[in-house]
Amino acid sequence: MKSKNLLLLKNLLLSTSQINKYRHCKDKKKKSKIIGGFVGMIILYLMIMAYCIATCVGYGEYELIEAAPGMCAMVISILAFIFTFFKTNGYLFNFKEYDMLMSLPFKTRTVAACKFLYMYVNSLPWYLSISLSMMIGYGIYAKPAMYIYPLWIILALFLPVIPMLISAFIGFLIAKVSAGFKKKNLIQTVLTMIFVLFCFFIRFFMEDMFRNNKVQATLEEMSATTDNAGKIYLPISWFTNAVTKTGILDILLLCGISILLFAVVFYIVGGSYRSINSKLKSHAAAKNYKMTKQKKTGILHAIVFKEWKRMTGSTLYMTNGAMGMVFALILGGAALVLGPDKIEELIVKAIPAGSSLVQPAIPLAVYFFVGMFSSPACSPSLEGKNYWIVQSLPIHKKTLYQGKMLFNMYLTVPFMEFGIIALCIGTRTPIIDTILYLILGFVLCAFSTAWGCVCGVKHMKLDWENEIEVIKQGTGVMIYLLPNMFVSMILIVVVVFLGMVIEHSLLTALLILIYGLLAFLSYKKVMKISK
Amino acid sequence: MTTKPILEIKNYSKTYGEGKRAADNVSLTVMSGDIYGFIGHNGAGKSTTIRAIVGVLDFTEGEILIDGHSVKDDPMECKRITAYIPDNPDLYENLTGIQYLNFIADVFEISAKDREERIKKYADIFEITESLGDLIGSYSHGMKQKLAIISALIHEPKLIVMDEPFVGLDPKAAFLLKGIMHDMCENGAAIFFSTHVLDVAEKLCNKVAIIKKGRIIASGTMEELTEGHSLEETFLESEGD
Repeated sequence: MKSKNLLLLKNLLLSTSQINKYRHCKDKKKKSKIIGGFVGMIILYLMIMAYCIATCVGYGEYELIEAAPGMCAMVISILAFIFTFFKTNGYLFNFKEYDMLMSLPFKTRTVAACKFLYMYVNSLPWYLSISLSMMIGYGIYAKPAMYIYPLWIILALFLPVIPMLISAFIGFLIAKVSAGFKKKNLIQTVLTMIFVLFCFFIRFFMEDMFRNNKVQATLEEMSATTDNAGKIYLPISWFTNAVTKTGILDILLLCGISILLFAVVFYIVGGSYRSINSKLKSHAAAKNYKMTKQKKTGILHAIVFKEWKRMTGSTLYMTNGAMGMVFALILGGAALVLGPDKIEELIVKAIPAGSSLVQPAIPLAVYFFVGMFSSPACSPSLEGKNYWIVQSLPIHKKTLYQGKMLFNMYLTVPFMEFGIIALCIGTRTPIIDTILYLILGFVLCAFSTAWGCVCGVKHMKLDWENEIEVIKQGTGVMIYLLPNMFVSMILIVVVVFLGMVIEHSLLTALLILIYGLLAFLSYKKVMKISK
Repeated sequence: MTTKPILEIKNYSKTYGEGKRAADNVSLTVMSGDIYGFIGHNGAGKSTTIRAIVGVLDFTEGEILIDGHSVKDDPMECKRITAYIPDNPDLYENLTGIQYLNFIADVFEISAKDREERIKKYADIFEITESLGDLIGSYSHGMKQKLAIISALIHEPKLIVMDEPFVGLDPKAAFLLKGIMHDMCENGAAIFFSTHVLDVAEKLCNKVAIIKKGRIIASGTMEELTEGHSLEETFLESEGD
């Protein structure tokens, strides 16, 4: 059994290993792409590590370094929980090679457990980059005994296991419920979104709860947050006690519970794994179609429709693509429900100024959500094995990409504009400024679309086994997402400050010009690549 | 009916990494009205050649012309008059059959009236009309193959390129496809297809080319090639050389 587990795990890892691909690939272009991907990843790891060490330096300078292990455990637990939740459907359920694997002499539980372990091994480098860099930071300031380092490393391996298992189990429950419905994809998408929103609001609820402790300084507040989190989610305090007090019981609890939970979860999941996957993979065939009148559409709209069906046909694509829009909808809805007076009251409570101060940041705040995802950043790769269709059809590449971009505009612009209008009403923004914000919102969507398409086309990967590889982990998506999010966050702050010295309309016009130019340049780049 | 070259392959070669030649100086001509069989064992270079003809695979050496248009220089015009049916059609599983056919029809800018007529005609022939409202993901391999064939016929191409078209088809569908192939060629189209089934090639094709290790080792009309022997004997003999 053990050797079969290892054999399967080894093969799962090998089948998606870039190193293996590099070793056996004869194409120099592909090889250099793989190296480029590695370099990008290393840069990303280094950025994460630098950020973690800088956080520890902050803790160290304010003599709060004892909070670092707790913070490390909390960050890893949250990330492991969120990432696993989005990956469960696709990695554990409804995956491509299910038929092949199940036809081989593996126990159902072995397949399920190995798929989980595969997910764990694949994401481990991310978690290790956080924990090891925080260990270095902690080491510099706390100067613990030498044996703490190997202990930290070993426990860091266990740290993501419990949140990953909890998340996978919730994913399993959602898959189990959805499998019973005819519209499985739709139910799975809706349940996933509801759960993510639930987690999002729980986070605010907890933050509010912690704030009631009246902790003053930001770092102290964060340290207290970690302590409180440790009281609710015990593995955080087990890890903290293990590395700060060498608590033997805590070490045993963290390792033992991780292993025990793994066994229990996969005992339960294994029991109905086959039936869930069978139901998820089977499609209802009505066989009752009667020829009706057909309509002729233009090529661009035919591509848009194809993209729409591609998105709605995949829970993973849908949840990743639509989550930002849902947040924008909620943000706008909340602004309308609360009304201008309540919003003014809330803003004044947070910053000592009226709501007019934050008005110039409205389009960027909505864009922070809407721009989280750009479908053209992954849709060229999502063509995958279907790529022969568009390749053999008389469609210019530029038309194909224009269709993909148009789809993203249809997807993002309505949510963007709704969010802006609602927030403008909520903050009593003057009409002229509102119009300018709406234009900026449109331009931001155009930029997100075109820039996403540049990333997606430049880093197109067709030979994927699981759509997660391109939707969540694709180089194109990463290159699009991270700088875009950071720049948006920084710009929100910058714009609020600039709004105090420059006329709002002038500032917005300037942003329209800058983002318009960036959108135009990105679009030109897409057209150039498509040649 | 006057015939003219529909597909001309001139000295086409395809080299993969480390200098392996999957196709080596391949030349052949398919005239309008031809049903041209392309035979060879696994890995001989059939699919590599076919994928280059339909513009899926790049190539650097040689020239491929479709109705006088270069696949390299004028790929769009070539694609407008060509239809391709791969051996294992990976179709958009999230679309229904009718949505996929409409997508293809939109790409070829076929009027609503024409597409309706053609979809009905071919879907009825292949007996999948009732399934057109179902997701392609729910189709069997044979049904996907039938849908790919209908999508290829929907724009009435001048050249149909097929990679092992009979694999996965039930006997009735295979018989119907052969009939459609004959009808199309009588109307001036040309068909170029690869197959392992030599009996089918012998009965269906008027011309055949045998490819081995990327090189055409024999080609011509069926009569010229077989010289009174069966195609199977000719093929095995040439393979043994």
